[in-house]
Amino acid sequence: MQFEVIAKCHTTRARVCRMKLAHGVTMLPTFMPVATQAAIKGLTPQQVESLGITLILNNTYHLNLRPGIKVLDEAGGAHNFQGWNRNLLTDSGGFQLVSLSKFTDITEDGALFASPFNGEPTMLTPEESISIQHSIGADIIMQLDDVVSSLTVGPRVGEAMHRSVRWLDRCIEQHEKSGRKDKQNLFAIVQGGLDPALRDLCLDAMIERKDQVAGYAIGGLSGGEEKDVFWKIIKQCADRLPSDRPRYSMGVGFAEDLLVCVALGVDMADCVFPTRTARFGVALTFKGPLNLKLGKHTKSMEPIDKNCPCPTCASGMSRAVLHHIVTIETAGAHALTVHNLVFQAQVMGGARDAILEARFPEYLRSFFFDYFGDAGYPEWCVNALRSVGVDLMQGVDLPLVQGSGVKWEYSDAA
Amino acid sequence: MAQAQLEGAQRVGSRFPKFTFILDQGKQFGPRVGRLCLTRPSNCLPNHVIDIRTPNFLIGTSRGVVPHFSRDHVHSANGISWINVSFESFLEQTPPVPTYQAGSQPLHNFLGFDSSKHIVSLSLRDPLDAREMPPNGNSHVSALCMRGVRKVTPADWRSYVLTMQPDIAFALSDTPFTAAPHSQKRLTKSIERSAAWLADLLRPLENTDDSPTESTPTLNVFVHMAGGTSTSARRAFSHSLTETLHGLEANAVKPLRCLDEGVAGYSFDLAALHVRPAPLSTHHDRGGGIEIAENSLSLQNSESLAQTPTPNTAGTPTSLSSSMIEPLSFLSLAPTLDELLRASLDPLPVAKPRLVTDVRSPHEILRLIRDIGVDVFDAGWAVKAADIGVALDFIFPVPSEHDNSPDHRKRDIGHNLYDAKYAHDFVSLTDAFLAGHNRTSSSKTPVCPCAACSPVSSTSPIQHSKVDVQSHQAHSDDGTNREQFLPPFTRAYLHHLLHTHEMSAHTLLVAHNVAVLDALLTGVRTIISGHADQNEAAAIFAREVTRFEEVYDGTMSVLHTARDNWKDVKYARENKDARSVHSTEVQ
Ligand SMILES: [Zn+2]
Ligand SMILES: [Zn+2]
Repeated sequence: MQFEVIAKCHTTRARVCRMKLAHGVTMLPTFMPVATQAAIKGLTPQQVESLGITLILNNTYHLNLRPGIKVLDEAGGAHNFQGWNRNLLTDSGGFQLVSLSKFTDITEDGALFASPFNGEPTMLTPEESISIQHSIGADIIMQLDDVVSSLTVGPRVGEAMHRSVRWLDRCIEQHEKSGRKDKQNLFAIVQGGLDPALRDLCLDAMIERKDQVAGYAIGGLSGGEEKDVFWKIIKQCADRLPSDRPRYSMGVGFAEDLLVCVALGVDMADCVFPTRTARFGVALTFKGPLNLKLGKHTKSMEPIDKNCPCPTCASGMSRAVLHHIVTIETAGAHALTVHNLVFQAQVMGGARDAILEARFPEYLRSFFFDYFGDAGYPEWCVNALRSVGVDLMQGVDLPLVQGSGVKWEYSDAA
Repeated sequence: MAQAQLEGAQRVGSRFPKFTFILDQGKQFGPRVGRLCLTRPSNCLPNHVIDIRTPNFLIGTSRGVVPHFSRDHVHSANGISWINVSFESFLEQTPPVPTYQAGSQPLHNFLGFDSSKHIVSLSLRDPLDAREMPPNGNSHVSALCMRGVRKVTPADWRSYVLTMQPDIAFALSDTPFTAAPHSQKRLTKSIERSAAWLADLLRPLENTDDSPTESTPTLNVFVHMAGGTSTSARRAFSHSLTETLHGLEANAVKPLRCLDEGVAGYSFDLAALHVRPAPLSTHHDRGGGIEIAENSLSLQNSESLAQTPTPNTAGTPTSLSSSMIEPLSFLSLAPTLDELLRASLDPLPVAKPRLVTDVRSPHEILRLIRDIGVDVFDAGWAVKAADIGVALDFIFPVPSEHDNSPDHRKRDIGHNLYDAKYAHDFVSLTDAFLAGHNRTSSSKTPVCPCAACSPVSSTSPIQHSKVDVQSHQAHSDDGTNREQFLPPFTRAYLHHLLHTHEMSAHTLLVAHNVAVLDALLTGVRTIISGHADQNEAAAIFAREVTRFEEVYDGTMSVLHTARDNWKDVKYARENKDARSVHSTEVQ
């Protein structure tokens, strides 16, 4: 990996970086769409590439089940298998294992779980996770970590953090001897739950191993914790992680979360949200999400966003047509998936330009005003951005919204 | 309704394109080649002529969209030049939402079709939907939308057509989708209503004085050939089209002397002949998307049909109402599809295009070309094959090296990619065609140009920031020549996508199957037009059809197996979803 910081925000911790991997250059900060099973829902890889997306994510847990490592090896890796020529990242499989398996028992050796095929106890070790990810062949691979829910409290959190560090060492060793270091890059995952002291211990240990890791993820968040706790942990980690390594915030996908994370110094994020919400008929826009199932869109001849460069909006596809097909025709899902992926990319591309042109604080202010101006700002966003020198409330007279403040259009009876 | 009519009236001034059919070669019955030519008013576009060589195909839509395709796929797909929109799904709103589309070519623009590339026709009903429906009336057709059955009058239909300005409109037809058998009385009524409704659509357009220099704009109207499974009823309907009109009837359609003068083409919707109408309660499963009728009668083989009762007469009457004891002579005959089509076409002029919907196999297409001279087929069966995971794999004419397999089994017309044997099969979707990436100058095997076999990199990805150019520059410098075809998607990958319920599978398969259908019809045209002598052309074509029938399995068994597999995977998933709140995509 060649990693270069090419611009920094004068106020916040935001930065623009150039990350060159075996499958090309990805400009950061960026959002990574999730192709769980080696396909972005309903699209072809060529369509995804045409949207200006250069880095996507595959899930190791799923690919290991189907098509399985044998097929991926025969295909020469997941890039070849799915016809994707750009950069690819895989997770370790640990998260899905814990959240999808009937039982998972974490031992020092690895994660013991019931095989989804035959129910037999099966072990996923750090070494195995890495070697599966070697078969997949992603440009960025993740260490196996000991995942606990972000709502867990007590000694289990500390145990998981310490074990994640020990497992990182085993992943590093497996990766070092694979001879694949020139093509694949191992990321560490900072754990430690919501406890700043544990996070610091984890950061100490993982930063010590900097020479063996290409980048860092911030894990163990986005699991329903208080947003004010979420951003403080992100900030704590981003502040301490080395500036010459990319920082990846896992499971973050709402536009406001993305921009807060970018302001705090995060370079990469992923989430299934934009593609999943598309299948339920929701289009993401700079004025907030638009639920196209709602009756009010029935006769609207407007596109979702006439300034959006996505193929759906550029073709003039009206909200009325979308209302007619979403959640019924697969083509409706395709149209919104394309739009939502472009929206995410526009939010992040806009951030890159703003950072480069030294106007990132203004970009934040105008984004939040467009997005939340009708309802009020989520208080946690205001707090988070104040911590890096941007006051959203400056010059605006809007209420503060407690809680997550996520904007949503609820369905109507239509 | 009132508003739609008003808008329709306002737009009558805008002109319809001129639609012509030139029969280059061929006779009343037998293989023929021709050209469909759509000329838009010259002030419309620089590229205002759409030329379609026949035999060719049209692709139908579901709720106004080509199934599984995003708009960019519709534009890039090979051979898609004619798209049919069935209007009934829009009857969910009153007035129907597309009628709000302003400007010229509202139907094209509402649905995102390209007026320089796509002929877009409009029918009220989905010609592939043969489910049982409440009866039509003397002045309405029962149409189906998600909110239930809607009655559409000829006046409604005329207004929708004038408002939406399709390139071609299908006249309303009184096709009974009620329990068979149908009495002679019912058939007579069907013929009379269909003719009257056609006449209504053919009434001259008012207010056409905006371009005195050009000839009167006329709607391009296709008529469904009524008469059901009765040859005499079919003949009667055709005669009603050609007979000279008098009095009020003549006045209504002036200057036309007979209805046929205003008819641009003839259509045959086989759906009602293929199956006994299924009860309306059968949910139209478009999301999973396949409805190969369970009781589909093998019409692939016209000969075998002669020995089987036709579907409409096969039903066991549950009650003996008086209408069922009509003269048996009308019903007891079991004419072949061939005879039915001939009965309709016999009295009609030779040089008008003939369209058949709901064909079920390449074999049926070839026979209809050979025996009747059908010019346009709908691609519904190829799309349905894609729905159930089948990649079509056949070629016409059959190359000489393509002989029977060693075990003398016929070749399947495609691959059921659900089958476990494809899990490790890393070749492109067909044997009959090469992938663009694998083409060589020496090989005579043609290339399948579809998005699955011959994908190409996007030439100008969207740039989201000024520095994005670095991503794209650097990538093309890395030796990826953007002009070249990328490696094809493999059977193993499609197998994986099907078993993981990924929608991309169906997108790629529709693209591929439509391309294979396009190649079939291109092959047909090459054979027929390759011989100046018509009789020779017909004989050579017939020989090639026989060869095709010898090599490829006409029972389409691969589709039936695929449908079973598709069901298994679908139901397994539904059960799983019911058991667990976890989606496969938790993150
Ligand atoms: Zn858009
Ligand atoms: Zn193909």
